[in-house]
Amino acid sequence: MNGAVNLAVAHRLEAKVLLDWFDLTEIEPKKKFRCYGGSEGIALTVTGMGVENAAAGVRHLHDSQPPGFRAWLNIGIAGHDSAALGEGFLIRRIMHRESGELYWPPVTDLKLPGCELITVAEPETGYPEDAAYDMEGAGFFAAAAGLISTDLVYVFKIISDNRENPVANVDPKQVPDLIRGQESAIRKLVSHLRERSARFAGYYGMPVEFDLLLDKYRFSATRKAGLARLCRRFHALGKQDRLTALARERFRDAASLMTAMDAELARTGKPVI
Amino acid sequence: MFSAVYVETEARDHPRARAILERYRDLPQIECERYGQIFNRKAQNFRLQKEYPALILARKHGRKVLPAPGGYGFDAGQSHYFSHMLNCIYDCRYCFLQGMYRSAHCVLFVNYEDFADSIRQTIAAGPGNQVFYSGYDCDSLALEPVSGFAEFFVPFFAEHPAAVMELRTKSTQVAGLLQIDAAPNCVIAMSFTTEAAARRWERNVPSIEKRLAALGRLQDAGWPVALRFEPLLPEADSNAYENLFKLIFSRLRSDRLHSVSTGLFRMPADFFRNTLKLYPDEPLFARETQTENGVVSLQQPNREAWLAELEAALFRHIDPASYYRCAE
Ligand code: SF4
Repeated sequence: MNGAVNLAVAHRLEAKVLLDWFDLTEIEPKKKFRCYGGSEGIALTVTGMGVENAAAGVRHLHDSQPPGFRAWLNIGIAGHDSAALGEGFLIRRIMHRESGELYWPPVTDLKLPGCELITVAEPETGYPEDAAYDMEGAGFFAAAAGLISTDLVYVFKIISDNRENPVANVDPKQVPDLIRGQESAIRKLVSHLRERSARFAGYYGMPVEFDLLLDKYRFSATRKAGLARLCRRFHALGKQDRLTALARERFRDAASLMTAMDAELARTGKPVI
Repeated sequence: MFSAVYVETEARDHPRARAILERYRDLPQIECERYGQIFNRKAQNFRLQKEYPALILARKHGRKVLPAPGGYGFDAGQSHYFSHMLNCIYDCRYCFLQGMYRSAHCVLFVNYEDFADSIRQTIAAGPGNQVFYSGYDCDSLALEPVSGFAEFFVPFFAEHPAAVMELRTKSTQVAGLLQIDAAPNCVIAMSFTTEAAARRWERNVPSIEKRLAALGRLQDAGWPVALRFEPLLPEADSNAYENLFKLIFSRLRSDRLHSVSTGLFRMPADFFRNTLKLYPDEPLFARETQTENGVVSLQQPNREAWLAELEAALFRHIDPASYYRCAE
């Protein structure tokens, strides 16, 4: 089962390898944020650096996509006091240094090394805490968590600089190699997220009849919510066939349709097991 | 069982927390200021989280002993509940906890000593016998090897014979209890649904057979044992409950039971709304419901007659004096 995943990176150099792996091509060129998509339900945006850009890039990709449930994964480079260059970490806690805001990405059983991330406004050279340092994570997480459950928002960082190899020495050309070095972890994460987002969509996606009926009748906002509930109940109770049949029938208006749906559901008197 | 351990900074050095952190040294350990930072966050999905729940070690502040809701429990006198833990390692689809909490992580409050102080004060202040229910916001015994909850509180209540503690559980973690003398004022109350309901709605819960075996051993060792038939749910097989009763009372001494109760499926309306949002595809919640005094239950024609029949079947095995209907 494969669901949709949106990837967000700060820089084109971080995107390079991912575009290749997931066979992504550019969609809507010349927009503020470059966005890529493929046939596998994976999309990618290059947000630019800093929390504001990260958040805006996430929202831009979201707004350019049709409605749906998508997991989010931020992949990028980060600094760390002692971790080796190229080491990858699934982030467990994010602190936005400027605001003091804390974010808590989900925990998994993927057995990937994890650490805390501190998102800073300027590259960190002192690495004062036992944490990774980046410039986007907090902005990314805050924005993506506004679009989907936080249980579908992950951050993965690869160490590009440490005390012995300061940030000033990072050669941008090495970035694709750093990402490439974490191929197995990234692929594992992406397929894990695809499974999770597929499950999520399966739980909360609307039955097709819902859209059909919305097109056929006029619903107030309250009635629309009521229709969603009714359609879901038909499915939960295994009465898809009856819902399909009702959707084909012609009712005077939305109210009469919903009365008929209610009456049909009320006939479900038999025990569940 | 857990994918990570979060620990409050101020709980970290508590000996109980230290022992648990040592036990889970191979899991990610993440520090937080307050458990609510993780547990009460918005936009969490309980259902997804149940796949990889974490343990949160915290210190309980504020009131630790609360009045039990009216109609809850076996004693009409003063009763209270206390929650050393929030949430449960099992996953019963009908459980109200999934509608009550935003997170599926389990919070364990490690400062049992402070709970004990509050209970001591409540006992001293209250008149006569008082009942203390644990397992209202969790399963009392499911995490026993990690939490040492019974190991701490049973000896405590043994020293306070005027009070009664009920441990509500579906767990078979009774090895610790079997190693100590039975405490006449500590009641082990095991919940049961029918075989079909257990198979369909109780994930990770020990089988009815295993639960009965554990209860049998407790009874043999002299522990007061109680039965809780909750939630009662109408089934196509009209003999389902009778068969369950037959099985249970072929294994347990009914004359030695502390009490037996039943309770219909019911949930506060806001918890039900949350649960329905989490499980829009669950047939149990898609059925016709009714709401009375802010509590949702399933619509069921002839409910009273059904209940009376079920009780009649029960009374063929037990003394009606030991029975009550849980109305909370
Ligand atoms: S055992 Fe009890 S507390 Fe645990 S999930 Fe089941 S109903 Fe809820």
